[in-house]
Amino acid sequence: MKLKESIESVRNQFRTDSDPFPQDDTSLDKLRIKYLGRKGLLAGLFSGMKDVLAEDKPLAGQLLNELKVEINSVFDEKSNISKNVSIKESTDESLPGINIPIGHIHPLQQTLDEIKSIFLDVGFSVAYGPEIDDDFHNFGALNFPPEHPARDMQDTFFIDPETVLRTHTSNVQIHLMEDQDPPLRYIVPGRVYRNEAISFKSYCLFNQVEGIYVDKKVSFSDLKSMLEYFVKRMFGDNTKMRFRPSFFPFTEPSAEVDIWSDKRKEWLEILGCGMVDPEVFKSVSIDSNIWHGYAFGMGVERICMLKYEIDDIRLFYQGDMRFLEQF
Amino acid sequence: MRISISWLKEFIDFSLSNEEISDKLTMLGLEAEEGYNTSNLEDLIIGEIKDIIKHPNADKLNLCKVYDGQNTLPVVCGAPNVELGQKIVFAPVGSTLPGNFKIKKAKIRGEISQGMICSEKEVNISDEHDGIMVLNMDASPGDLFIDYLNNHLGALELDITPNRPDCFSHLGVARDLAAKLNININTPSYDKRSFNKNIAKDMIKVSFENPEDCPRFVAGIVKNVKVGPSPDWLRHKLELAGQRSINNVVDISNFVLLEMGQPSHIFDYDKIESKEILIRRATKGEKIKTLDEESRKLTPNELLITNGKKPIAIAGIMGGLSTSVNDKSSTLLIECAYFNPPVIRKGAKNLGMSTEASKRFERGADPNGTEKAMWRIIQLLEDIANGEWVPGIVDPYPKKIKQDLIKLSRLKLDILSGCKIPDKAVKESLVNLGCSVKQTSGEWICTPPSWRPDLKREIDLIEEVVRIYGYDNIPSSLNYEGIMNDQITDPHRSLSKIINILTGFGFNQIFSNSLQSSRKISALKFNSVKMLNPLSDKMSEMRTSLFQGLLDTANFNFKNGNPDLMLFEWGNVFEQKDKGLEGIKEKLYLSGLAHGFYIKSSVHSDESQYASFHLIKGVVDGLFSRLKMNNVVYDKIEDNNMGLENAHTIKINSEIIGYIGKLSSKFNNLLSLDIGKSYGFQLDLIQLMKLADIETRYKPVVVYPSMIRDLNFVLDEGIPVGEVIHTINKNGNEILIDVEPISIFRDNSIGENNKAVAINLIFQSAKKTLEDKDVNPVIDEIIRVVSKKFSAKLR
Repeated sequence: MKLKESIESVRNQFRTDSDPFPQDDTSLDKLRIKYLGRKGLLAGLFSGMKDVLAEDKPLAGQLLNELKVEINSVFDEKSNISKNVSIKESTDESLPGINIPIGHIHPLQQTLDEIKSIFLDVGFSVAYGPEIDDDFHNFGALNFPPEHPARDMQDTFFIDPETVLRTHTSNVQIHLMEDQDPPLRYIVPGRVYRNEAISFKSYCLFNQVEGIYVDKKVSFSDLKSMLEYFVKRMFGDNTKMRFRPSFFPFTEPSAEVDIWSDKRKEWLEILGCGMVDPEVFKSVSIDSNIWHGYAFGMGVERICMLKYEIDDIRLFYQGDMRFLEQF
Repeated sequence: MRISISWLKEFIDFSLSNEEISDKLTMLGLEAEEGYNTSNLEDLIIGEIKDIIKHPNADKLNLCKVYDGQNTLPVVCGAPNVELGQKIVFAPVGSTLPGNFKIKKAKIRGEISQGMICSEKEVNISDEHDGIMVLNMDASPGDLFIDYLNNHLGALELDITPNRPDCFSHLGVARDLAAKLNININTPSYDKRSFNKNIAKDMIKVSFENPEDCPRFVAGIVKNVKVGPSPDWLRHKLELAGQRSINNVVDISNFVLLEMGQPSHIFDYDKIESKEILIRRATKGEKIKTLDEESRKLTPNELLITNGKKPIAIAGIMGGLSTSVNDKSSTLLIECAYFNPPVIRKGAKNLGMSTEASKRFERGADPNGTEKAMWRIIQLLEDIANGEWVPGIVDPYPKKIKQDLIKLSRLKLDILSGCKIPDKAVKESLVNLGCSVKQTSGEWICTPPSWRPDLKREIDLIEEVVRIYGYDNIPSSLNYEGIMNDQITDPHRSLSKIINILTGFGFNQIFSNSLQSSRKISALKFNSVKMLNPLSDKMSEMRTSLFQGLLDTANFNFKNGNPDLMLFEWGNVFEQKDKGLEGIKEKLYLSGLAHGFYIKSSVHSDESQYASFHLIKGVVDGLFSRLKMNNVVYDKIEDNNMGLENAHTIKINSEIIGYIGKLSSKFNNLLSLDIGKSYGFQLDLIQLMKLADIETRYKPVVVYPSMIRDLNFVLDEGIPVGEVIHTINKNGNEILIDVEPISIFRDNSIGENNKAVAINLIFQSAKKTLEDKDVNPVIDEIIRVVSKKFSAKLR
């Protein structure tokens, strides 16, 4: 049985070649290719199997496999030892685990995603629009009178007298109603800008999520139930809330929504809302005798600050890892 | 607007605690806060000054005897206004004042002092600290000061929304509260007086340049007035509303303003120098010295009250100094007018002035309040300033302001409210607010009151009804009238996936400011979008790239001891490509940056990974692989305006969707960076999300074994391995499924400036087990092409 002899010869050759076991990568690779490579000695022996008589095949196969296991185990054992310099430490299970790089999702993103998912769950779609827009979409169509203080340079950033950095994402409400017929139901997230001095409680920009729902029968009662649902999902089932009358040019009746803080013993404002003002419908040629709607708007930063008890809005834009790693 | 609770109680009869009133007003849309902070005032009591003698050892101090309801105690006091018999706020020994100030028994310049007499500042009432706070004579020694405060000074600070000018007065607030409580309101007397001969008309003539600017101007004259201090009740009233007393004439004007909201102005008739009033716009450069002794330079934006020639007041904003009332004045001209709101708003803004009068006029005063206020002022001048009415008033009303009829339909009210508010409640709330209402079947015909300029349309009335009915009382509907949407519900729906992949790789998400300095913007040659009115030089332009924000953030953390930074941000960048809004392009980007160690050596391994081009490349590869795109191609480019060196484009299906490279050293100086080399990527997020949305289809797993062959080429050092791999891929047929470089070896034995590159070629067929005869010809062809194209030799 010629193969048996060949097997023994390869075994002896390997034992010589692998002692001492090579320590550098190049000679290790050479050794590996010599025995385990595609055209290596072991492969050569396996290809010799075809010439073995049928009755000898089981024994030859067994011997050949034994050799393969031997060679492989030497490589496994020895090459591991050669690569691991500090073997002692790695058997000490009390050592910390290996550091896996970990990234963090920004708290504003997490809050925004949560807000989006709440409204997506109940049938809202999401729309986006330009951060720089004309006076008409940001103010005029939303029933801001020409002399409204928000249209002042003191409150709004202007690019030219007719172009502004949007002060709310309500501009997209107008684009949507210009482009499609009701019924429609959207939330609109995005960055908005205010010409305000930067402090712990105000920044020159923030992220807003605005919502609009226009249909034939939409009532203040519907608005209440929608936002009650939102507050429960966002802040918990037992959150105490109230709708307080307020004023916005683009809604009537208008309300502000407050939630009660047990900790601070006061009402905290979280969003503004109301029924779409007929003047807004008029500016986008929707008949307010047929269509009604509600709209609401909230600041992602504000919601996020309340949820995580963050007390300085600037932290969101500073990118301090000591802050980000907490989320 | 500060509202005194006791003043409100003069108009309506209610028994609610201050807190309940505050809640009720807030829920009416008049956001209220307690006017005084009463915390830490619990220890203070009311005292009476029973005796005063000079301190024997100090000129400016007095030795008082204070009666606290039980005992009379010695107290040293330095206030100049302390007088015998005064009722004062007394802090006894052992009490604590706001600011945790403890009162102890003391010896002041040798005299014992058992307590302290407080100033308004010391009890958080105002900033007044020049003297002690003097209470009403009806205050009773020994009572708690906090009770006195609630009963006498109880006040609320209201935040009035711009649609409610009528609530800049006690009467206006009382009216809303009465409507809510559905109770009667007792208004003061504003009755007209009758007269036989209009003598006033002979003394003053009123004319208009443009009645649009001033639709109504009411003038009246009172003579023999004695200007002097106001009586206590008036001084006290004004104090309750947060105003100081000046003299009886000014106080009357302010009182009527606070009571019913109509601003008025009182001139010294004799100083007008003519018997004429002309209301006209200022001419350019015209000047007037106003009551506050400032000289104002005017423009045609401002409306003036003139004596026919010279300005004597800026209409609706502030009176002139030359015609002001002083203690020698005797004959007074009273002005109660209605000015066009935008005119006053423009003028006040232009002059940078905001006064009690302008605040009300620019939001819209009550055109009929003019006459009422006139009669009220005349009455008060007679009652408390010895005045004598000159019969008649002058009331040209050239531009009548009418209140239009508004129809409120039951149908619309029900649709918008979502519930059925009873007929009775609808009518009562409208009537209580001052509307005259006629009810017919299914609708109400209303005329709103003249003091509510905000009520013009049906929706305005619906709001009033719902507001008075109470937002709390509107039920939340449980039925959900929905629309099904078969369109894509969120165009950014794959963004979460992308963010999860990147954070999974160890990258941290940041949000940075979209507003940047022109210096930072100038690192890249984009035409940026600039603001006309930036907040500061540091934020004057819109960002054109996300790299500046990422670098700033990296630098901030570096300086705070964290040098190993993997960061990414998504957001819009802006470019002014052409003129105007049309020329502004907003692009949504996703960019990332790596700096420092990605993996640090540890007790487990000496191996570390430093931020490098290939780290970023691996991140981008990994991202695309997770998004099921394995056909990413990188091509080196020479010039770019992305802020990258050694830049390569990232292509999918031959389309450029982004760039990778080393962050340009151009940033270092312009951003004052301390950090070292960093590497970054920039991706077009819209395109990326579109690709991420492509649905994947299952491909059967190949069951036949693969065959691995190694080729070891000796190449010139300058030949990029990537090109060799690309060539191999191109020349292998469909059975070549993967090509992977496994090692690069450099040694003199293979020649200087050469490298030996071992490459794994993996072959597999979906149809059969491959044999040498299938693979060998492919290998031979690869060897031939590679050898020829790169002058490579097999090792």
